[in-house]
Amino acid sequence: MSQDVSMASEPEVKISDKISILPGASADGSAVSFEIKQEDHTLGNALRYMIMKNPDVEFCGYSIPHPSEAHLHLRIQTYGETTAIEALRKGLTDLTAVCDHVEDVFRQKVADGNYADTAP
Amino acid sequence: MNRDSFVPPTSMSGLSAAAAGSNVHKSYGVRYLCANCASNVSLSKECGHRVLYKERSRRIIQFEAR
Amino acid sequence: MINVYQDHVANTGSRDYPGNISGEDEDWTLDTFKKNFDIDISFLTDNEANFDLKGIDTSLANAFRRIMIAEVPSVAIDSVFIEMNTSVIQDEVLASRIGLVPLRLSPDWLDWVDPTQEAVDENGESQLNNSRNTVIFSLNVKCERNKNAPAGSEDPNELYINSNVYARDLKFQPQEGQLEFMDPPPTVASPDILLCKLRPGQEISLYCFAVLGVGSDHAKFSPVSTASYRLMPSITLTEDITGEEAEKLKKCFSPGVIDIKNNKAVVVDPRRDTVSREVLRHPEFRDKVQLGRVRNHFIFNVESTGAMEPDEIFVKSINQLRNKAKDLLACEL
Repeated sequence: MSQDVSMASEPEVKISDKISILPGASADGSAVSFEIKQEDHTLGNALRYMIMKNPDVEFCGYSIPHPSEAHLHLRIQTYGETTAIEALRKGLTDLTAVCDHVEDVFRQKVADGNYADTAP
Repeated sequence: MNRDSFVPPTSMSGLSAAAAGSNVHKSYGVRYLCANCASNVSLSKECGHRVLYKERSRRIIQFEAR
Repeated sequence: MINVYQDHVANTGSRDYPGNISGEDEDWTLDTFKKNFDIDISFLTDNEANFDLKGIDTSLANAFRRIMIAEVPSVAIDSVFIEMNTSVIQDEVLASRIGLVPLRLSPDWLDWVDPTQEAVDENGESQLNNSRNTVIFSLNVKCERNKNAPAGSEDPNELYINSNVYARDLKFQPQEGQLEFMDPPPTVASPDILLCKLRPGQEISLYCFAVLGVGSDHAKFSPVSTASYRLMPSITLTEDITGEEAEKLKKCFSPGVIDIKNNKAVVVDPRRDTVSREVLRHPEFRDKVQLGRVRNHFIFNVESTGAMEPDEIFVKSINQLRNKAKDLLACEL
């Protein structure tokens, strides 16, 4: 298995265009809608789950406004203890940590070799 | 050139070879394939190949594989 | 637990969120996740993997599945340059068929083709494709009569030479330096795919460019033929089932799910079950058996097309999800 996985996606979207804040955010920053470009349910639903697991978050939901436009809207409302941007940051950080752990466990299990090497 | 000045070839060797079915390519330019037996022939009045189609050129054409 | 009844399912959605059920601590901590999460690999071959992901939410398991299908890059033929094709298959159709041939070729060897580049430079040379981002295959087949065919034979395979064109006839054409880092050299993953049939005098002569791509662009770039999960079945016997009834119960499930011990039916391996609900068709079992599925136990099955090993594809899907999160964290807001 290759160890070095450099997975540069197609250079379609510049990093600064990737995410923006939609108009209508609350003044204290506790309720914000974001727009993320070139992403779909894959990230949308996973990120929604991670953000909803945050006890400071009152509401989190996402939508794909139009099926043939490759962007998603993510709505975050907090109870006020934290800002929506911070909740998004925490969600992304937690998601990264999940990936790290899943990869560690999977690699370990593959290395352990405690499985059949032929399909039944 | 008008029709009266046309002089038929005196030697029959070329024509008889084509009539015999062997591939004799005269410099008519365009080559043809027999639709029945797939042999490569040139246009000839004497030939038995009745249905002919033009050979495809070897010009490279690009296609998207999708 | 998701409940499966004869005519409906219930309790289907995740509800493990903070504040949802009073008194239950559902706050996210990495330690709780680590404590609950586990993987069991049941088998791992060159082209198929089967493993269980336990203690993870659907949204994450589904993200891995979706990424394996649509976003893990692999190499496929994208342009076909046809010099000659006198077969009965039209150029476009032949090109499309060739594009779908899976290649045995590590995607890590290639760079992305930069779509922002001009297609050709001032000398008319291609700028898009070079030996770092493109692999060239060629196909040159001409069908002829077999002079040594047995008399009276009507079998095309005996009468003609090269009457069948297979995927294995696609030959790798190494470009400068490619053999140094492409080891083993690229080939097709399945040599016996029939691309086309020929008759004497017909000929195919072409070469093609294989490049990196993702499944969301075209299915030929997907590294998996299937990547799917099912939820772990759960079978609970609420009353003792014995004797002839036990034998009947056993037959309601897939082989190996129910065993009879001391004249009593016991659930030994619910993982083998298909949750066909056959058991609920019999009135005598309806109140004695509860069917369900474990919401956070995913049985993954990943079949590779041949370019990568299935475990590598799964690891790449994890990396891809992490990179999405990291890219967004790097954005200024």
